[in-house]
Formats: sequence, C-alpha cells, structure tokens
Amino acid sequence: MLNPLRSEQEAFRFLLYVIVVAAVVLGVVFAVRAIT
Amino acid sequence: MEAATHAEHHHGPPTANVSSRVEAQFLGMLLFIISEVMLFGAFFTAYFFIRVVADSGWFPIEGVDLPKAIAGVNTAILVSSSFTMHWALEGARNENRNALKVGLLTTALLGLTFLTIQVNEYVHIGFAPHDNAQGTIFYGLTGLHGAHVFVGLTLLTFATVRAFRGHFTAKEHRGVEVPGIYWHFVDVMWIVVYSSVYLL
Repeated sequence: MLNPLRSEQEAFRFLLYVIVVAAVVLGVVFAVRAIT
Repeated sequence: MEAATHAEHHHGPPTANVSSRVEAQFLGMLLFIISEVMLFGAFFTAYFFIRVVADSGWFPIEGVDLPKAIAGVNTAILVSSSFTMHWALEGARNENRNALKVGLLTTALLGLTFLTIQVNEYVHIGFAPHDNAQGTIFYGLTGLHGAHVFVGLTLLTFATVRAFRGHFTAKEHRGVEVPGIYWHFVDVMWIVVYSSVYLL
C-alpha cells in the first residue's frame, strides 16, 4: 500500500497520483459545465 | 573496580528508548504533516462555506478575476521543483554528488521563484483581505500555503548547504529525504489549492 510519509519516493509517487486525479476531476467538471 | 569498568563502556547519556518501528525523524515529520493536513482542512472548510453561502458567488466579483494563467505557470514551476527534488535524492542514493547539489539548488531556486511570483500576484491582484469574505479566504489559503513554501525553502537551504559541504551518502541521506517528503506535501497542497480556488 502506498504510504506517502514513509519515504520520499512514495511521497513523489503520491504527488504524481494527485496530479492525475486533479486533472481528471477538472476535466470532468469542465466537460459537465460545457455541456450544461 | 567494577564501577570503573562500567564507566569506561558507557560514555554520554543512555541510549534513547525506541518504542516505534518508524524512525524518530520520519515519525516527527509524519505527525507534523498530519497536523498540517488538519490545518489546511480548516481553511478549506471556510473556503467551501464562503463559496456556498456568498450571494455574490466566487470570483469574478465586481470585475475582479483571479490570474489563472500566471498561477498556472506558478503551478508548473512548483511541480517542476518536486521533480528536481526527486532527482536530487536519487543523486544521493546513487552517490552522484553533482545531481544532489544541482538538484537541491534548483529546487530551492524554483521554490523562491514561486514565492516571488506569488508576492507579485498579491501586489497586482486588485483586492485586499479585508475587502470581502472571498478576499479573506483567498489570501488565507494561498498565504498559508506560501508560508509552508517558505518553511520548505528554509529546510532546503539547510540541506543544500550541507550537500555543498560534503554531507549525505548513499546510506545516510535523511537530511534530504525528510525535507523532500515535506516539499512534495507542499506541492500536493498547492495542486488542491490551485484547482479549487483558481480553476473550479
């Protein structure tokens, strides 16, 4: 299991996950706003 | 005689009791970051509350819009600094001292650039914290994050100076790793702040 507080490598990987999740969430929100 | 022999083998204070499987330095940073998440949580609660109840809505208000593009460039700068931080630590792990030194120095300079751009944004943004609730929470959230960048920069400065003095090896580089975890945490928080305050 990913524990971002255990090592820098895992914290960096967690950051990459957050960037991807944020991009997906923003994409969905903007797409819904554009449609409605 | 026995006491003298005993004294020869025990110099200095007794060894600290270790009651956790996690090293003390990592445990300290872990507890600190957990408390930080709660602090940011309180500010985000205020932000979402204001956003929901404000009659005038979120920005733009009275012709003032948030500089999304400049903040976007600033976001790219901060994210880049996490990559250079990771590169520096890989350098420490692989005994590549040049990568360690250049990586740490670049991370610190990128962090400093981020703060400079944020201060410049405050100067030109066109509203003050006391103008309205939106302004208060905007400065509160971004300022809280900026303070964390400043703390991260302080830690990075110590690590950079130590790296240039020849500290850190492939086996012993906690002085880079712990600030690295903190720096990535600051970056994660900025992604959330930028997404929710500027873009959504």
